[in-house]
Amino acid sequence: MSDVKKGGLKAVGLTVRYGGNVANADIDLEVKPGEVVGLIGPNGAGKTTFVDAVTGFTPSEGEVLLGGERIDGKRPHLRRRLGLSRTWQSGELFGNLTVEQNVVVATRPGGLATVARDLFARRRKQVDPAVEQALQVVGLDGFGDKLARDLTLGQQKLVGVARALVGTCELLLLDEPAAGLDSSESLEFADRVRQIVADGGPGVLLIDHDMSLVLGVCDRVYVLEFGRLIFTGTPEAARTDPAVVAAYLGVPMENADA
Amino acid sequence: MDTYLQFMVLGLGLGAVYIALGNGLVLTYRATGIINFAQGAMAMWGAYVFAQLELDGLLVLPIGSIQLSEEPLGVLPALVIAIVTAVLVGVLAHYLVFRPVRHAPALAQVVVSVALMLTLQALVIIRFGPNNIPVKSIIEPGTISLFGVDVSSREIIMTGIMLVLSAGVWAYFRFTRAGVATRAAAENERGATLRGFSPDRLALLAMVMASTIGTIGVILASSLTGLNPQNYTLLVVPALAVLLVARMESVWIVCAASIVLGMFQSVVNLLVLKEWWPTWAQSGIDQVIPFFVVVVILLAFGSRLPSRGSLQTVPLPDVHIPRIRPVSMLVLLGITIALLVWMKDGYRFGMTYSIILMLMGLSYVIITGYLGQISLAQTAFAGAAGFTLSKVTMNWDMPFVLAILFCSIVAALLGMAVALPAFRIRGAQLAIVTIAASLAIERFVFNNYSITPPEGNPIADPSFLGINLAVRDGADLSRLVFSFTVLAVATILVLAFIRIASGDTGRAFLAVRANERAAASVGIDVRQTKLIGFGMSAFTAGMAGCLIGYSAGQLSAESFSVFVGLQILAVTYLGGITSFGGAAVAGVIGPLGIIYVVFHDLFEIGDYYALVSGIALIITAILNPVGIAGATRMQIAWVRTKLGKGSPPGADDRPTTDRGAKAPALEGSDV
Repeated sequence: MSDVKKGGLKAVGLTVRYGGNVANADIDLEVKPGEVVGLIGPNGAGKTTFVDAVTGFTPSEGEVLLGGERIDGKRPHLRRRLGLSRTWQSGELFGNLTVEQNVVVATRPGGLATVARDLFARRRKQVDPAVEQALQVVGLDGFGDKLARDLTLGQQKLVGVARALVGTCELLLLDEPAAGLDSSESLEFADRVRQIVADGGPGVLLIDHDMSLVLGVCDRVYVLEFGRLIFTGTPEAARTDPAVVAAYLGVPMENADA
Repeated sequence: MDTYLQFMVLGLGLGAVYIALGNGLVLTYRATGIINFAQGAMAMWGAYVFAQLELDGLLVLPIGSIQLSEEPLGVLPALVIAIVTAVLVGVLAHYLVFRPVRHAPALAQVVVSVALMLTLQALVIIRFGPNNIPVKSIIEPGTISLFGVDVSSREIIMTGIMLVLSAGVWAYFRFTRAGVATRAAAENERGATLRGFSPDRLALLAMVMASTIGTIGVILASSLTGLNPQNYTLLVVPALAVLLVARMESVWIVCAASIVLGMFQSVVNLLVLKEWWPTWAQSGIDQVIPFFVVVVILLAFGSRLPSRGSLQTVPLPDVHIPRIRPVSMLVLLGITIALLVWMKDGYRFGMTYSIILMLMGLSYVIITGYLGQISLAQTAFAGAAGFTLSKVTMNWDMPFVLAILFCSIVAALLGMAVALPAFRIRGAQLAIVTIAASLAIERFVFNNYSITPPEGNPIADPSFLGINLAVRDGADLSRLVFSFTVLAVATILVLAFIRIASGDTGRAFLAVRANERAAASVGIDVRQTKLIGFGMSAFTAGMAGCLIGYSAGQLSAESFSVFVGLQILAVTYLGGITSFGGAAVAGVIGPLGIIYVVFHDLFEIGDYYALVSGIALIITAILNPVGIAGATRMQIAWVRTKLGKGSPPGADDRPTTDRGAKAPALEGSDV
């Protein structure tokens, strides 16, 4: 994508508490510009909580920096406008809008000035090229007029990615993109992610428990267990790290990989 | 000090009925997840049956009546019959009204309970008359000495009875298998089903208990106040405040909060008579209190109030994104103009009023159909504009165009203020806030003689560029020039609506409606979007309020009562809450609109209008969430496809419901 500004994501001492329950404990994590980083861990390890905290959907302590600037304390929509994009585990599309409108809405989020423009300005018939490009990147060109809810789950998740990529996107958080996809869809998805990054796209933090997807795509991985980081390093090292293996209930990585 | 104690005890009478209705609300909510706005109205029917039996031994049924005895019936048989009636009301309400919408979106559930409330109220007016009737007291009046002060004993005994019944409700939840299962079903409907409990049967049981306990409470309390079709219907509002204080579940907190609220309101009614109390704040202050209770509780705990894990599957109906179609619009305008010219007097006035009602309907379409927020305060916004109009035209001589703009902006600001709680809450809880706000504004502002004098609020006749636009001139009671003025204002507003709804703002509204979290995650400022939506909606309602004012030449509070607002919501939902077409249908069939006038003229339907519209609304909410306009559009699309003309309903033109969408409407997190 051409208009991507480069900025890394950094979380310092990020902690999330639900009542007395610590869901994320003192997590330090960094994604450099253009890097693909994985965040893995068993179910309930606190992966989605981490994404929610970084993007502002759940209150947290600690610092979140995007491109070196503090963004913790900002509301979610402002973090998105600064370039911190995310997708959702369950898609969370606007089912009542078309695929194209789902992406357009991210480029034109409304506001007071927009009301005046809606009233008086001449409408452009042409679709924003950025929107077309984003749909093309995820391989959904030609689907623009379909209602979002009529797509398969895999396609819906790709719309979610397009929606996150469009406009200012410095860093993309993919929350369990492979959940609910079959293995061929999952492989296709991995290909798309690789392409996005190879084309000079944003940095990516890929959250999943599908080891094959994460370890196959990522430059580095972080492993979470019970809300704590238990491993940081290369995918190869993760496969053999005893703590990581134990976290996955003692299942050897070779099997999990299959 | 003695007087204070006496008033506190008197407040127990009110407290007792809050306990009854509050417990009913808890029972229904815990069993079904539905907040039953008809709780007061349901309880009122049995109380009316009791009162009538006590008056002349006549058992009044919804249709027909039976003379049980020539004399007034004894208290005990009358009470037994009233309780049996209450049980039947509960059973019917469950099977005919609430069961069919148990998996419907919050909006449909709110609408259906509001519709039941309107229906019961209309039925009471038809069967028992609109006036206050006395109710014989079951408990002998008397006094007892409390801390050396003689206080009324009746209120204390009433509260005692309600506490005993509450203990019964508590024991039901705590100890019986059914009660425990109801709690389980509230947590996890599917789980309870798998364990062999039918949530449906549990809901029936809860509804019957709610109806019965509510009826007993109203029978007791109405011996102090008398019964009329409004008072106990609206007592559901303070009871809803109590429900929120109790976090939708605790029987004992309902009791405690009811007693405190009842006593507090009673003491406030004593305080307002003091010399130091400002005169402008004398009227309606007791209604402002429940509103503040509601707002404080929701702002403090809103995000932590439980929402149920029900099997909710059917979100709001789809929106048909409008386009400006010059030909259709000109045809519609031409027909309207022709009708206005052709009609005279009453009919022309009805037609004009329909156009105004269409604007009221449009305000609901904006806020509920597009933004997914349930507001029951639209008439309060309209009324605020209307009353401001009276002030600015009489005192400041503000010219017509400036005056309606100014007053609508006042309404918009009020709407934005009401939107603030919507930052934290949504769905039925927002409905509670807005109805409480509406009632507080109605009682505290519109019915407040020091703010709005009883002799009326005259409004100067409108004129524009030297042309007199007034509705009346001598013998002409409905001047064409006024009708055209209304039509011109409405046309501008509808065009503006279509531009905004089809633009970026409309898209952002729909995104917020579909999924607030996802909307925030694509960069939409959800709070600002809600403010804009409430502002737009209240502005439109404000314009309607101004036009209502001009159409009467003066304002009365009745034009803007809570019930009028609910009725307009009803017809808008009936017409189709998600489209301009729905608003147009609402205008045509709405109260005082053209159909109303015609039917009134031909058949003298009068009181039956409210009954028929209430029942029609229940049926619509259950069977046909897209409303009349949506259904018509579907049929046109179907005919087109059959004829092979045009394309089958395409993406932009698809009048289906949201079935199968991933995110339930009106849900989401605090963003």
